[in-house]
Amino acid sequence: MEGFMEGLLTAIEPINLFWIVLGGFLGTVVGMLPGLGPATAVAVLIPVTFGMDPTSAIILMAAIYYGAMYGGSRSSILLNTPGDGSAIAATFDGYPMAQKGQAGQAMAISAVASFIGGIIATFGFIFLAQPLANFALKFGPAEYFLLMLLTLSAIVSLSIGKMIKGFIAMCLGLLLSTVGIDPQTGIHRFTLDNPHLSEGIDFLIVIIGVYAIGEVFYNFLTINKEKKSQDKKSNMGKVWFSKEQWKRSKWPILRSAPLGFIVGVLPGAGGSIASMISYSTEKQISKKPDEFGKGAVEGLAAPESANNAASVGAMIPLLTMGIPGSGTTAVMLGALIMLGVRPGPMLFENDPGMIWGLINSMFIGNIVLVIINILLVGLLVKVLKTPAKVLYPLIIMLAFIGTYTLSYSTVDFYLLLIFGVIGLLMKVMDFPIAPLVLALIVGADMEQNFRMALVSSNGSVSIFFSSWISVVLLILTVLSLFYPLIMKLFLNKKSAN
Amino acid sequence: MKWIKIGMPVLMILISLTFLIGSFAIPKATLGNPNGPSYFPIGLSVLMLVLSIVYLFNELKTLKAFHEGIKDLMDKKTLRLIGFTIILGVIYANIFERVGFFVSTLLFLGVLLFYLNGMKKWLINIVVSISFSFITWYGFSQLLGVSLP
Repeated sequence: MEGFMEGLLTAIEPINLFWIVLGGFLGTVVGMLPGLGPATAVAVLIPVTFGMDPTSAIILMAAIYYGAMYGGSRSSILLNTPGDGSAIAATFDGYPMAQKGQAGQAMAISAVASFIGGIIATFGFIFLAQPLANFALKFGPAEYFLLMLLTLSAIVSLSIGKMIKGFIAMCLGLLLSTVGIDPQTGIHRFTLDNPHLSEGIDFLIVIIGVYAIGEVFYNFLTINKEKKSQDKKSNMGKVWFSKEQWKRSKWPILRSAPLGFIVGVLPGAGGSIASMISYSTEKQISKKPDEFGKGAVEGLAAPESANNAASVGAMIPLLTMGIPGSGTTAVMLGALIMLGVRPGPMLFENDPGMIWGLINSMFIGNIVLVIINILLVGLLVKVLKTPAKVLYPLIIMLAFIGTYTLSYSTVDFYLLLIFGVIGLLMKVMDFPIAPLVLALIVGADMEQNFRMALVSSNGSVSIFFSSWISVVLLILTVLSLFYPLIMKLFLNKKSAN
Repeated sequence: MKWIKIGMPVLMILISLTFLIGSFAIPKATLGNPNGPSYFPIGLSVLMLVLSIVYLFNELKTLKAFHEGIKDLMDKKTLRLIGFTIILGVIYANIFERVGFFVSTLLFLGVLLFYLNGMKKWLINIVVSISFSFITWYGFSQLLGVSLP
């Protein structure tokens, strides 16, 4: 309780309140704009966090993350174009609602659903984070290595249909992480005698390259194809929902919040998967499944609650174990490392103020966001009409300046462009980006843990089977590898019935 | 379209081969296990090589299939836009420290906006370039204390 009050005081400091509102608003906006997601927003804003206190930095980045969960559904509802992956499920019933003239109601219920999901998940955070951090204290190098392996294999196998490409991206990320001086032996690896490379490849440049430049380049592919006719008169109707709609949505929202939260905590899964699972669960248990996809209000409310809860849950493995489970949290980890913060179980011992500050900021942030998303709906709709052609040059400019603040050298501008092109090619050829980024960030730690484990066992691989935690992690890794196959069999069986 | 479909896996094969050859060139460690630093890179580059070969065969099987992303990428307009942005970025890198942050950013943003957004919207382009160059300069150098050229 003491920690809670202390955190509350941190969160309501004017500067932190400012970051919460700014982050939430920016998150809403980038979440809303098709083609840009929270990972891009956090990546572009990394340089802004440099001068900041780490607590303020994590508060800002988290606000962008859950703000994007609110914003994503705005464009799903109005334009049938999801702002990002987690907002896809919101198009299923959100857009049909808008077509029926219920856009305002859809906006309101989705904001309220996101709010409830976020608040419930923040309570979940309070109860789960500390025990998980204590549990993580039991982890040795072998367990850490296996946990990272599980996270990577889960994030790859969850990008269904792209497994081979996902693993190639992962290998590439891990290999890139080995460039530079090996911290255990001081030996230069792949440095080509270039002093610039001996410090390793700066993962922040890669992140900004693939998530900012690469994404904008990818959006260039369709920039001239945009349909002009979408500029329909936005007849929103009343921006509040009826009692009847609330009655139908209440339980789906409350059920989806813990579901989304748990999916968010799991390695590899994030808002996109949480919202899909919650949608299909609600459809299955609904008494009126035929109404789903035709504007059923609960079909919009449930995934909205789930994805916001997932974004809060995703913060747990990041902070308690230092292992991000998704693209956005990987970018957040990169920024935290730059600020000299090493997330992990010890963070809870050493810096409880940061954790409690974050928790309280999430309560405040969700309140701010539900207000922004309901009262300022008109303004948001205007922002949604911001021409992409003005926005993209600004993002590219910010990416360059962000890169400059990393090293004060324009040589990195070329690296930025190279990784932008790599990001573009990967997107065009359907490679998932998250495995590359995640592997690059955890790669160095993963290798060091692997080798430390082997040193402690005198080179015997039995160390990776020696504790029950390791065995469980190994089994989960194997299961995650076969997950796509299992799903396929399951679906075949279902369609056969 | 075909050459991109084959080019990507071939590129991945080349990258993994480069890393594999490079791994064998890693000097022996004098501390601990002499081969310690090379196990991880060797294992990974072999894995990546095998996967890239599988990927190549997968692409060969569907070589003739239509791929919308590639078609959009190969569109002349798109290529010109991406190429233009890259060239502009290279120029930006070269003038950034010489003419200073404000002027170079103003030029970069202005030229890109005029190219992308068209001449007709000149007023918006000019207003956005000037205001955002100033806001970023003010934000970074004055509020965040980053020293900009």
